[in-house]
Amino acid sequence: MNAVEPGAPGEPVRADGPGRPDDGWRRLHPATPLLRGGVVLVAIAVWAAVQLRDVWVTILLGDVLGEVGRVPEDPAARWVFSNVGLALLIVLVVIIGILVIGWLSWRLHSYRVTADVVEEREGIIWRKHRRARLDRIQGVNVERPLLARIFGAARVEVSVAGENANIRLYALGSATANALREELLAAASSARAARATEGGTDPGDSVDAGRPGVISQRLQELTSPELDSRLSTPDSLVRMDLGRLLGSTALSLALPILMGAAVIVVPVLLTGQWGVVFLVVPGVIGFGAYAIRRVTRSLRYTIAGTEHGIRVGFGLLSTTNETLPAGRIHAIEVTQPLLWRPFGWWSVRINRASRSTRDGAAGQAATTILPVGDSDDVVRVIELIVPGLDLRGALGGAGAVGLDPRAPEYVTSPPRARVFRWWSWRRNGYHLTDEAVLLRKGSVWRTLTIVPFARVQSVALSSGPIARATRLRRVSVHTVMGPIVPSLGAIDVVDAEHLAREAESRTLVAMVSQR
Amino acid sequence: MTEPNPVPADGEWHGVAPSYLWVDLAGQALTLVVSAGATVIAPLASGVAWLWALPAAFVVIFGTSMLLTPRRVRAIGYRLREDDLVFRRGIMWHRQVAVPYGRMQLVDLTQGPIARMLGLAELRFVTAAAATAVTIPGLPRDEAATLRDRLVALAESRRAGL
Repeated sequence: MNAVEPGAPGEPVRADGPGRPDDGWRRLHPATPLLRGGVVLVAIAVWAAVQLRDVWVTILLGDVLGEVGRVPEDPAARWVFSNVGLALLIVLVVIIGILVIGWLSWRLHSYRVTADVVEEREGIIWRKHRRARLDRIQGVNVERPLLARIFGAARVEVSVAGENANIRLYALGSATANALREELLAAASSARAARATEGGTDPGDSVDAGRPGVISQRLQELTSPELDSRLSTPDSLVRMDLGRLLGSTALSLALPILMGAAVIVVPVLLTGQWGVVFLVVPGVIGFGAYAIRRVTRSLRYTIAGTEHGIRVGFGLLSTTNETLPAGRIHAIEVTQPLLWRPFGWWSVRINRASRSTRDGAAGQAATTILPVGDSDDVVRVIELIVPGLDLRGALGGAGAVGLDPRAPEYVTSPPRARVFRWWSWRRNGYHLTDEAVLLRKGSVWRTLTIVPFARVQSVALSSGPIARATRLRRVSVHTVMGPIVPSLGAIDVVDAEHLAREAESRTLVAMVSQR
Repeated sequence: MTEPNPVPADGEWHGVAPSYLWVDLAGQALTLVVSAGATVIAPLASGVAWLWALPAAFVVIFGTSMLLTPRRVRAIGYRLREDDLVFRRGIMWHRQVAVPYGRMQLVDLTQGPIARMLGLAELRFVTAAAATAVTIPGLPRDEAATLRDRLVALAESRRAGL
């Protein structure tokens, strides 16, 4: 059953929606218009103040300056000055109008969760009614921008497969957001039946038990990376230490900075015109902002397996907490920028079926699941993402990631593939397991791509004229669109046909077990 | 309509209709006329002789391509296996794709003007991956419709979650 019945799990947290009808529709946090429109209001106020500062100065300080009755130069200001009553009336009407619109949009924006779908309806003039099937949920993202955190509110984004198909609820009370997430994830990971038998053990029940003071509750929420610290959070698999974060950020920026510096320094040396140096100021500011953003967003990075899926959290001031139900990750790529190699650092990206508007860890696209980690971290994260894939057992852990270029488990390119892969032909190869195919590529920029067979859409075998002359083939494993395009070129024709055939048949096996 | 069942799931390679050659040739001829026509204006207007090189190059490239088209059309084929559809095309740039029936999200049947005159249609298969990009051209209209209905039914019965 869903949580709309009295006494059902999650019932106490619906105190947010006063006057709620009984059909299960719930409203958002009452501060929603303020949180959504607050920035705009402040901007308008600042603009008005700046535009009419002569008027303010004259009104407030006219006596002091001895300029009572002086008419300002600005025509707009002059009009305001001569029609003070009318101007105030207009301001009042505008403010009331904004308040009414804000209140109306809050009244008309509601959502509900039924047995099969989550629904959202909003809009004053153009009504929008969106439904998402619970079994199509790709992830639930709970984000708390700094402003919302102060109000104890959160933004919930329910990712659904497809472009721009997500349901965004901003803002919800923290406790409501938390309960909603649990409810949706329980449904999405088809744990509904299990939960129904447990009865009232839902974490939502504890929310107003011995309700603490508002201030201390806010403080607790501010200091806790999770929405509700009383929920038992599993320990993070990865410890993000500050040194590694700073070092990796600096190194990933080092190359572009050096190149930029070269572009600037050479003309300076040639012409002796030092003024050129000022051209780099915007670039320096940009790099600095990127670095600071990356560090603050990754600072409290956590990744852990929960009963409803993989939970990734990060952020210092504005926190984000995303949960991906099991099996919603279509491809994984482990990469290593060149300068990270001496330190053994890697980053992990994923392909997923939904597009989130929100940024992921480190201010990168939402597809980066691990901004930086050593090879042990990477192995742990991959084993969490692809259950059943035993990287350590089958491939000796680090060898799979690529520290050992000659791991014997990989079928690699033949020596004649040097035509296409001069540096990396020894590394360029694949390894098949029952769960996934592993594609290892690149000698300078090392990558390892992992595609679970349960998510493969189709398999292609292709070749161009030179590849045919050298009996080499390319195998592409098609997954949903994303930053990763899994494909392995310059493989011997026999090995490539074997890879394609095995990928096809193992995909079919995985599909059967999925149904 | 009779039920000749023109597309058995026998695992055999099926080619496309030989008349598809004319659809392909017409498309190339049209591209040639447009591109050569656009580049022919400059030498005509200016009288500079070497500017004729560009339209000449178009004629040579498209001419060679059109000469090879019969072979290319013969190389297009598809095969219905027990659980997936295999499509292949290309001689120089060969590509072979296997699409499990359960992964097909929708099957499109389209007809261009020349294909319609010849009674041909093409089937486009859409999966969750844009890279799949499988389009079987040059199928007789009835065969295409039958194949589409069969594949949609197969996809429905074997659909796996996304």
